[in-house]
Amino acid sequence: MGLIDQVADKIEEEIGNIKLNAKEAAEAFEAQYSGAIYDSILTTKLGKVVGWAQKNALWPATFGLACCAIEMMAMANSRWDAARFGAEVFRASPRQADLMIVSGRVSQKMAPVLKIIYDQMAEPKWVISMGACASCGGIFNNYAIVQGVDRVVPVDVYVPGCPPGPEALLYGIIKLQEKIMNEAGTSGAKKRAA
Amino acid sequence: MSVTEQGLLERDKDTMTLNMGPSHPSTHGVFRIIMEMDGEIVKSTDPEIGYLHTGIEKTSENKRYVHVIPMTDRLDYLSPPSNNLAFCLTAEKLLQCEIPPRGNYLRVIMCELARLGSHLVWLATHALDIGAMTIFLYCWREREMILDLNEEISGVRMMTSYLRIGGVAFDSTPEWLANVRKFVDYFPSKIDEYERLLTHNPIWLDRTQGVGVMSREDAINWSLSGPALRASGVDMDFRKIRPYSGYENFKFDVPVGKNGDVYDRYLMRVEEMRQSREIIDQALNSLPDGPYKTQDNKISLPDRDTLHTSMEALIHHFKLVSEGVNVPAGETYVPIEGPRGEVGFYIVSDGSGIPYRAKMRAPSFMAIPGMCKMMEGCFIADVVAVIGSIDIVMGEVDR
Amino acid sequence: MTSEEIVEKLKSDMDGKILEATVTLGDAVVHVSPDALHEVAVFIKDDPDLKFDYLSYISGVDYLDQDREPRFEAVYEFHSIDHNHSIRLRVGLEEDDPTVPTVSDLWLGALFPERELFDMFGFNITGHPDLRRLIMPEAWEGHPLLRDYPLTTEDVTFSHNRDYKSDLVKSKPPTR
Repeated sequence: MGLIDQVADKIEEEIGNIKLNAKEAAEAFEAQYSGAIYDSILTTKLGKVVGWAQKNALWPATFGLACCAIEMMAMANSRWDAARFGAEVFRASPRQADLMIVSGRVSQKMAPVLKIIYDQMAEPKWVISMGACASCGGIFNNYAIVQGVDRVVPVDVYVPGCPPGPEALLYGIIKLQEKIMNEAGTSGAKKRAA
Repeated sequence: MSVTEQGLLERDKDTMTLNMGPSHPSTHGVFRIIMEMDGEIVKSTDPEIGYLHTGIEKTSENKRYVHVIPMTDRLDYLSPPSNNLAFCLTAEKLLQCEIPPRGNYLRVIMCELARLGSHLVWLATHALDIGAMTIFLYCWREREMILDLNEEISGVRMMTSYLRIGGVAFDSTPEWLANVRKFVDYFPSKIDEYERLLTHNPIWLDRTQGVGVMSREDAINWSLSGPALRASGVDMDFRKIRPYSGYENFKFDVPVGKNGDVYDRYLMRVEEMRQSREIIDQALNSLPDGPYKTQDNKISLPDRDTLHTSMEALIHHFKLVSEGVNVPAGETYVPIEGPRGEVGFYIVSDGSGIPYRAKMRAPSFMAIPGMCKMMEGCFIADVVAVIGSIDIVMGEVDR
Repeated sequence: MTSEEIVEKLKSDMDGKILEATVTLGDAVVHVSPDALHEVAVFIKDDPDLKFDYLSYISGVDYLDQDREPRFEAVYEFHSIDHNHSIRLRVGLEEDDPTVPTVSDLWLGALFPERELFDMFGFNITGHPDLRRLIMPEAWEGHPLLRDYPLTTEDVTFSHNRDYKSDLVKSKPPTR
């Protein structure tokens, strides 16, 4: 009886060793071939620092299309100052911006332009869909309006309203900042930086 | 550029094509101009619109009249009550419906507040494009006060949908009137502040005087309207020549310019801001009492307290809410003076509660070819000044 | 001049060229055939008593649901700056060949509205210098404002009253 127990223990030990070896082998493999800096506890903290820096300096690209653009301008003004949340300047060039606030209804003619501007932005980039028309087509369910800008670009935060007040858009930016912080240092952020 | 037989590139025209694309910070919306440039000078322009086409005209052929009113808000989104007023006036002309004086005065107050809001956005963005960034922050400070007034009376900051066929949606409260009075007393010093910054500023004068000149005959032929037409010397303001909604009761001036350049259009709109404030002041002083919407219950909803006692009121309320107002068959057009010029709706009705065809006459749409004609011969930097001075809003251009 | 006087003047001076001239709801409305449009336009622009020098708008209407001949109509409205009066010209166009001559040689402001007529209704504007699509993308097929063009090709994704909404969109209440 003792012999069988001993054999069973031995087998378990061997299986455990194989598992550990496999895990180490897999880790060594990954470390050898990925080379990314997000792979250890020290660099997870670094990822958090990077995320903190990104969220506090989100520069929006000017993509005001229609009525929501007016409320976006109101958000940038002195009453609901967006600069205190880091959105200091609205960059006209998409290459210098990391946040695209799609504010307004996207028509069929504008959708390819939207995609081109999104592609021109450098990684990491985020998209806020501002207003009902950008989120789902809004009150215009017809041939001319793309029913939701998420058919064209991936959206991170949806801000409802017609138009959403500047305080609602600011809340959307704060939520996006929370999202960036939650993702920081994880594989989600790694996918954006790639 | 074309390729010769030896594979060399060859120029086939002398001008450079420059695309001022739909996504541009200074085009005031999604507007595309393809310009042929000879160095810095624009030789010819080819405007392209349609990037904000929303199909509102087709959608309004499927909605009842009261449902079309919030859609008209989104056409010229800088002054929603003007579009509401144009639509309601046309429907009321088909209905042959009289508006009580209090309703008219409230409509005038809301439209003039909207004109002020629209001109403030115009001044902010026009000056921002030319380079004066301070005005952007100053103008929005006053516009926030106007938006607060909007929110107090209708619940919404921008797209108020405050007007209804037959009058206005809600009555004003004494607190709201006191707040409008506070704004009206506060505002003139602010217009002086904007003028102190710009009107005699040598940089502003250099950038705007003599730029984008349009003569009187050209302005009429190219169908410009509003401040742009008046800056070219044409005295045409529908509030004066075809008064609607009680405007004949107010005393105000209509500024007319001489040169038809960007500077004159700037002066027109600044003076219009002063005159609008005057109109609101007079309307507040002489606001009549009485009903704020027509008492004909086939057109506008009955007062809620009568619903408890009167059977006819209940039936009318039910019919109006479920089916909407039935407008007699016919077709008509009523022009009004919006902040950008002549706004109107050409409505064809077939006798039902759904408009058969509702076409919006958009002043910015008619102004675009004339605007592009103005740009020819200008420097590239003047293109931005000209676009700002005509004050186009792409929501109404593309509808 | 009042609308009645304008209508009288057009009936007397342009007798064979106009089909009908009435005053409806205070507006002077003149029905013209497409062949006579240019002549009538020249007359109302140059005549010193009428002097319609300002084009307000050009609209198209599709009367398919009302079953009337001709199916289409192009509506022109003009103002006079000096005399402060207006006129509306209604040009009936046939269904199989909606053609109308341009008025952009008289009023340059007609360039864009006529392109929009072509784009949205498919009218053929003869003599227009640059007839191409204005509002819809260049490769778009169909003319959206025709009555038999569908408003939307997809249903609302989520709705509590889906049936009511889709009925409202797809079918119109009877017009007669």
